Amino acid sequence: MAKIGVFVCHCGENIASMVDTGKLVTAISGHPGVAFSSEYKYFCSDPGQETVKRAIRENNLTGVVVAACSPRMHEQTFRKACAEAGLNPYMLELANIREQCSWVHTDRIEATDKAIEITRALVEKVKRNNDLQPISVPVTRRAMVIGGGVAGIQAAIDIATAGREVVLVEREPSIGGHMSQISETFPTLDCSQCILTPRMVEAVQHPNIRVMTYAEVEEVDGFIGNFTVKVRSKARYVKMETCTGCGDCIQKCPVKKIPSEFECELGNRTAIYTPFAQAVPNVPVIDRSRCTYFKNGKCAICKKTCQIDSIDFEQEDKTEYIEVGAIVVATGFQVQNTSMYGEYGYGRYKDVITGLHFERLASASGPTAGKIKRPSDGKEPETVVFIQCAGSRDASKGVKYCSKICCMYTAKHAMLYAHKVHHGKSQIFYMDIRAAGKGYDEFTRRAIEEDEAGYIRGRVSKLYEENGKLIVRGVDTLLGKPVEVEADMVVLATAMVPQPDAKEFAQRIGIGYDEYGFFNEAHLKLRPVETSTAGIYLAGACQSPKDIPDSVSQASAAAAKVLGLFSKEQLEREPVVATVSDSTCAGCWGCVIACPYNAIDRKEITDRNGNLIKRVASVNPGLCQGCGTCVSFCRSNSIDLAGFTESQIFAEVMGL
Amino acid sequence: MGIQEQYRTDAANLLDSGAVKLVIGYGEGSTPERRRPIFIRSAEEVGRLVLDANCIANLSAYLVPEGLLSDGKSVAVFLKPDGIRSVNILAAEAQLNPEQVVILGFNIDAGLANPLPGRKANEFAPLLASLKSAGLSTDLQREADRLEQMTAVERFEYWKEQFSKCIKCYACRQVCPMCYCRRCIVDVNQPQWVNTSSHTLGNFEWNIIRAYHLAGRCVACGGCDRACPVNIPLRLLNHRMSKEALDTFDHFAGESADQKPVLATFRQDDPETFIL
Repeated sequence: MAKIGVFVCHCGENIASMVDTGKLVTAISGHPGVAFSSEYKYFCSDPGQETVKRAIRENNLTGVVVAACSPRMHEQTFRKACAEAGLNPYMLELANIREQCSWVHTDRIEATDKAIEITRALVEKVKRNNDLQPISVPVTRRAMVIGGGVAGIQAAIDIATAGREVVLVEREPSIGGHMSQISETFPTLDCSQCILTPRMVEAVQHPNIRVMTYAEVEEVDGFIGNFTVKVRSKARYVKMETCTGCGDCIQKCPVKKIPSEFECELGNRTAIYTPFAQAVPNVPVIDRSRCTYFKNGKCAICKKTCQIDSIDFEQEDKTEYIEVGAIVVATGFQVQNTSMYGEYGYGRYKDVITGLHFERLASASGPTAGKIKRPSDGKEPETVVFIQCAGSRDASKGVKYCSKICCMYTAKHAMLYAHKVHHGKSQIFYMDIRAAGKGYDEFTRRAIEEDEAGYIRGRVSKLYEENGKLIVRGVDTLLGKPVEVEADMVVLATAMVPQPDAKEFAQRIGIGYDEYGFFNEAHLKLRPVETSTAGIYLAGACQSPKDIPDSVSQASAAAAKVLGLFSKEQLEREPVVATVSDSTCAGCWGCVIACPYNAIDRKEITDRNGNLIKRVASVNPGLCQGCGTCVSFCRSNSIDLAGFTESQIFAEVMGL
Repeated sequence: MGIQEQYRTDAANLLDSGAVKLVIGYGEGSTPERRRPIFIRSAEEVGRLVLDANCIANLSAYLVPEGLLSDGKSVAVFLKPDGIRSVNILAAEAQLNPEQVVILGFNIDAGLANPLPGRKANEFAPLLASLKSAGLSTDLQREADRLEQMTAVERFEYWKEQFSKCIKCYACRQVCPMCYCRRCIVDVNQPQWVNTSSHTLGNFEWNIIRAYHLAGRCVACGGCDRACPVNIPLRLLNHRMSKEALDTFDHFAGESADQKPVLATFRQDDPETFIL
């Protein structure tokens, strides 16, 4: 005989203001099988949980329904309380009368009736619940970090230093990411390369880190603790094992005029190249699409030049399957292409550049060796106009969100310009100055007060070329007057956007993403580095626009999550797994195809002489995630899911 | 030599040579224009085989009884293009090995049965591809178009009226080559998802579940429609689902033996218009 306890939570006012909890308690206490019922302001609080535990012990309850919030919010809390009181934790159900009832209704009487129905349905379900025991699965204590920018490097170093193996996968020929392109960093103006390159070297030399550059993640199979990742190492055509990075091949390569991606096309590279001088690993790659040898079979000067025979034109892509227990996604961002702003003339006028271009101009290792020279004629610009929010916070043409870093880097650009071109004049068109962060507001004040950056609050409406000058027309909204500035160069603070293939990548590895393609965290506030796929974590600007300090903090946070997961050899998994009825399975293998976790195999049933009787589907409980896809697909209704069995769901539905 | 004579000879040769152990074909029925399935096991019996424009049943359903093909021997069967598609689906769903099925293919055109070249299901691929590109139509096309024009409420009323006739005899299931499950969902009574009594709710549940189970699998052979003793136009329901599978997912049921089930697969370019 079932003895069910029902606990109705007020959730402060969240539930009680819209649901008559007293009426709910009265109604449910008369329901068959309900042996105990009570209400309280916060059942999730310590005294609330004590009430539940005491009621279980004193009344020998066989099942518990907490009518409160969503299972996602507090199922674990109350399962634990039940277990502490000696009841199997899977004999608990949460009746969600908050998100699915009080929050979404405005009529108290109707909301109360609905709350009664929801609670009754869960009482009916819990009567049919069974004791379940958690499943233990082994954890592969090796992590993969996807993306070798500053976030990925930081996460890899943190995990590796704690003693766990890490595979760091980067698709470019070198690790370093966008940070290696940046000249100086706000708010301290220390050189980006000087703080990043030691980290890059540390990563590549770390005994626990295996760095795979020029490699792409193609598939992720498995689940938390037990992922199998398919990684394709692209052919470099240079032998990693022997190349010493002397650079002779690069010197001799006759194809010299390829616009360099790293230099934002402000400089050139050769067909065999390293993206930048401090590349890690310092092993060049051959750009197959530009190489003369690959075009017509002639040249091969690099091969002749190389004294240790490290050039190998026969190299092919290599695919590897790597077992890991956790994955940190740190795939970074791109700068938005600003050519959609016709009025700014990006792409039309050579001297209208993006912030990233300016970084290269200001960088000591850049194409101008740190001298500010405008791209069109190499002259030193006397007046530079900076346009903030060139894409960000613009729902009509750009993106709706704030890219977060542009206010700061524009102030930095104005400062660097003032330091390098003493007589230069900078004008910054801005909407707001958003400088929240340690030392940030002080930094922008310094740009204004010490380095005489001229801030004009307003938007630019038009930009055109006249007599070798860029005429920037806009409005000063504080004065309410139109302004016109004759500039030699214009720098657009372009928006940070996700990688162009971010959505497709997210689908491939099975994580969520938002409308732009930034990856979704499990909870914006309370689980900001986890994804909703257990075992996959996020770091850096692939989640949302971030500056370096934020990216690094998040990377360390993700590393802490990974290390927490790796602290035990076994992982306890929920026993919510599917089982197949051998007698009714028709062996159509629809479930095998439908299963997103490859958890279903084909099983042969034989008689005692070993003769095959039939083939049926069989679920591997270690792999099953309990999603129920197979259950809904199975036409003969031969699959059932523990914790959500057909009879439980049916009783729940009929209880409504 | 007419097609009937030719296929009788073919069947005799197949049986004599031991290439097949059984020929499933058509024989005389209870009235002059009716044909019934017959099962021929020796060359002497081939004279009973009939093949003409009245041979419309999809005989592929007789290939799946448990144990028929488990000895590894082959079976020959008379099939129209719809039946060939059924064989492909049954192969795709691991219910038979297409290598064990010898097809005596024919189609019916202008009141005549004509032979189709090919013996194994995969040899008919060009034919099936041309059927796919010709697009879907049903012999109830006018009624199908009329239903499309209706509002959702009118359509619901239409089907309510149709389903009210259903007596739950399950003849539609018994005749269908796709209904090979050892236990049908309608026979599950713990819990009793589908109401067994013949009232509106139970009738809706049964017929709509069957339509869903046939989504992307129905080859429009019309067997269910002909079997229905109360004349529910089941073809219309299945036609609508086939159209959805083809228009939305480019899925033509039974196009090949390695086709994946449309409702169990996911492609990167699948339309996701239903996701808000």
